[in-house]
Amino acid sequence: MILVIAEQRKGTLNRATWETVAAAQQLSGLTNMPVCVLVAGVNVGPVAKELAAAQVQDVVTVEHPALEPYTPDGFTAALQDAVTQLSASHVLLPHTYQTRDFAPKLAARMDRALLTDVTAIKNASGQIAFVRPMFQGKLTADVVPQGPAPHFVTFQIGAYRVDQAAKDAAPANVRPLSVTIDAAAIREKPEPPFQQAKQAVDLSQAERIVSVGRGIKEQANITLAQQLAEALGAEIAASRPICDAGWLPMERQVGSSGQTVAPKLYLALGISGAIQHLVGMKGSNTVVAINKDADAPIFEIADYGIVGDLFEIVPAIIAAVKA
Amino acid sequence: MISTQTLVFWLLFLTFVGTFAAQVARRVQLIAAAPNTFSVENVPFRGKRFLRDVVLQVRTIRERPAAGLMHAFVFWGFVAFAGYTAVEFLYGLGIVDLTRTRVFGAYRILLVPFAVAVLVGITFLLIRRAVVRPIALGAHVSAESIVIGLLISALMVTFLLTFVLPEGSSAAHVNWWTHALVILAFLALIPASKHFHLVLSPITVFLKSPELGNLPNLDFEKEQVGLETVKDLGSKMVLDAFTCVECGRCQVNCPAWGAGKELNPKAIVLQTQDALLAGERDRKLGDVYTEKVLWQCTTCGACENQCPVGIEHLPILIGARRGLVSNGDAPAYLGSMYNNLERRRNIWGLGYDQRARFVQAAGLETFDPTKHDVLVWLGCAGSFDADFQKSLRALFDILRARGVTFGVLAKERCNGDPAKRTGNEYMYQELATANIEDLKAAAPKRILTSCPHCVKTIGSDYRKFGYDVEVVHSSVFVEELTRDARARPDGDGAVTFHDPCYLGRYGGRVDEPRALIARFGGEIKEPVRNRDNPYCCGAGGGLLFADKEEEPGSRISDVRFKQLRDTGANTVVTACPFCSIMLKGAQASAGADTQFVDLMTFVKDRL
Repeated sequence: MILVIAEQRKGTLNRATWETVAAAQQLSGLTNMPVCVLVAGVNVGPVAKELAAAQVQDVVTVEHPALEPYTPDGFTAALQDAVTQLSASHVLLPHTYQTRDFAPKLAARMDRALLTDVTAIKNASGQIAFVRPMFQGKLTADVVPQGPAPHFVTFQIGAYRVDQAAKDAAPANVRPLSVTIDAAAIREKPEPPFQQAKQAVDLSQAERIVSVGRGIKEQANITLAQQLAEALGAEIAASRPICDAGWLPMERQVGSSGQTVAPKLYLALGISGAIQHLVGMKGSNTVVAINKDADAPIFEIADYGIVGDLFEIVPAIIAAVKA
Repeated sequence: MISTQTLVFWLLFLTFVGTFAAQVARRVQLIAAAPNTFSVENVPFRGKRFLRDVVLQVRTIRERPAAGLMHAFVFWGFVAFAGYTAVEFLYGLGIVDLTRTRVFGAYRILLVPFAVAVLVGITFLLIRRAVVRPIALGAHVSAESIVIGLLISALMVTFLLTFVLPEGSSAAHVNWWTHALVILAFLALIPASKHFHLVLSPITVFLKSPELGNLPNLDFEKEQVGLETVKDLGSKMVLDAFTCVECGRCQVNCPAWGAGKELNPKAIVLQTQDALLAGERDRKLGDVYTEKVLWQCTTCGACENQCPVGIEHLPILIGARRGLVSNGDAPAYLGSMYNNLERRRNIWGLGYDQRARFVQAAGLETFDPTKHDVLVWLGCAGSFDADFQKSLRALFDILRARGVTFGVLAKERCNGDPAKRTGNEYMYQELATANIEDLKAAAPKRILTSCPHCVKTIGSDYRKFGYDVEVVHSSVFVEELTRDARARPDGDGAVTFHDPCYLGRYGGRVDEPRALIARFGGEIKEPVRNRDNPYCCGAGGGLLFADKEEEPGSRISDVRFKQLRDTGANTVVTACPFCSIMLKGAQASAGADTQFVDLMTFVKDRL
């Protein structure tokens, strides 16, 4: 049986769980094993009901007062018991922060390896292989787990899509499972969760970025860049001088002293490309630079360079995109 | 039979000398209790410096000619009067009366011009301190300094009166006693005041390291982790704290202070003194100076270099940073830089394939000592910064045009400067020892680099690992190489030159860049703060990465950029990749149209 460990906090399901359900369904298709989803915590009924929409054999709820608030010791104890009781062959988890916190411990406790950050499952000449990145994504490895079950696997966020998870018209069966947790053995005393002042703008997740440099000349011209950003469905960003001048807020600054971004498309308008800026956007897939100075360092790293007046080029691009 | 007068004098003498001795003993004990960091290598250099800075007062006069010269008058007067005071005290104590000898008579007459000079000097200094009140001397007028000044005046007046008052008169008698009592009062006042420098500064100047910013390597085998608490401060640092004369030269020359930051090198020394006298041996240095202040230093060395009494600020500042880093208390921006150094061996966190691409594109060969004259060290900037690579290409063109053969190492890593200056000694030693291994294998006789930080670190700091090689900056190398070149008549006129701290102040190379600029038609408009006392661009000491911490408006780079702009020249010539990055950033933020050109590009375009 393939067991998916759902993640929820105070009755709210972490959407990455659906991604793992999708992965489990693919694995089920390859192995003909049923999928079961486990949700642990206190008052997890509504979350279980939500999960029952999935095309799975059943949803198991594990309720215990020692599971709220979350502690790695509590979860490890509960899940070790549950995995043993259910005799799961595969335990699948989303590669969230919480998973990273307890899953290594759980796997070690059961004397099993943990396959982390998996991006795909494939059938490699009759064997099920889990694909995971190595050397900072420079290589991918096909890993075939050896030895007796259960096998623990975590899935990279975004590797499967939420809408890939198949659902059934009739809800799956929800059943409780009781576990024993020695509350006295829980060593962690969690403090109330808090979030550090979150950046209002998270450019690191943007797929497309239109970035503005000194070449924009005046604050009024920022509008032009904004029009381009709207046309492309892109976020707007800037190099330091623009944010210094207050033409765009500080949180839109890209570079070693601002945000580090890795969009699919980075459009640099009038950015000369000081190294401090370049190190903040070096991970971009495709860099397009528009600058009137053919010697600007930005052209050293640009995939496409346009030497010319951005005030002529940008309106033409906007018109072309809208056409 | 001893006269009552002699007895009274003996009593007074012992009381005041006792007070003096007790205060001195306390400070000597604190120095003795500190870990011994005194060293006296290179005595000839120290002797010369002693002559220049103590006897001739050069460092005191150089920056403040008027006040410095007046101070020199007082100092030379004090020295001249030493014999006089001794003779008068021997007489007063009834030991021996030499006052009637002919030699003493002649000596007295010789002292008259000294006395007049001291009076002129001390009057000038009193007016300066009480009326003019320059900012370097602090916000409040020090009452104790005024008292001391008046006592010095009284000494000179009572001396001169001896020529006027009839011998044996009661007025002469009172005059003698006044003079003697003033000297005794002076003795008792000195040790607890900044005037203790007149006892300590000759020693401190002699003991100051011949090398600016001298930081011995930490010995990890001995579990050294840098300076954590007051008791970790070395004996020279404790001596420094008691020597400080509070003149504020360090303060007014500090670029951080000049940009409105909290760091004030003078405050660092005085806080050390307070903590020592308060017996706070276990107080954390991050608490004594505050961590924020410790991270504001660019390690430009201006404070230490301008100090007339031999204080070394950098070993305290960087030593305390080491203590913080050892405890994991580095600011976040350094954390990511350290990660880059750890994972990618360069400050930018970029892959060395980029360097390889540049090496290939620029047609560089791997260094071979049998084939090449010099090894060119590219550095973090040369390996990755496309902007700086343009100036390196200019350097390569010059070398090729002049028939110099050169090669580069197959592999480089950061020289460790950013780690060393920010107190990450472990990372520094890891990088340095690995580089030294590669350099020893390559065996170059000379290393040529365009980065002053590489010059200082590889050429000077690596000696502490026993690796001694000549590292020469491109400005020096190319100046020598192009001496036969003639200035083009169509020079493009006014430029200004920004001396990099690590070239001008640490390296003392101030003439070569200027000679090159002049040779190739540039007319230098000197900025304020130039040559061996430049105002830092703000990049040093890891502050290159502290951009976010620096509020716009108080950035060191903005202050320096304005100084350069105020010369009226529209072209700034730079000779350091990091100065170039900082100043170009300031220029972009100011929206100015100032042009920047690296010295090598400047030369190549005109050769």
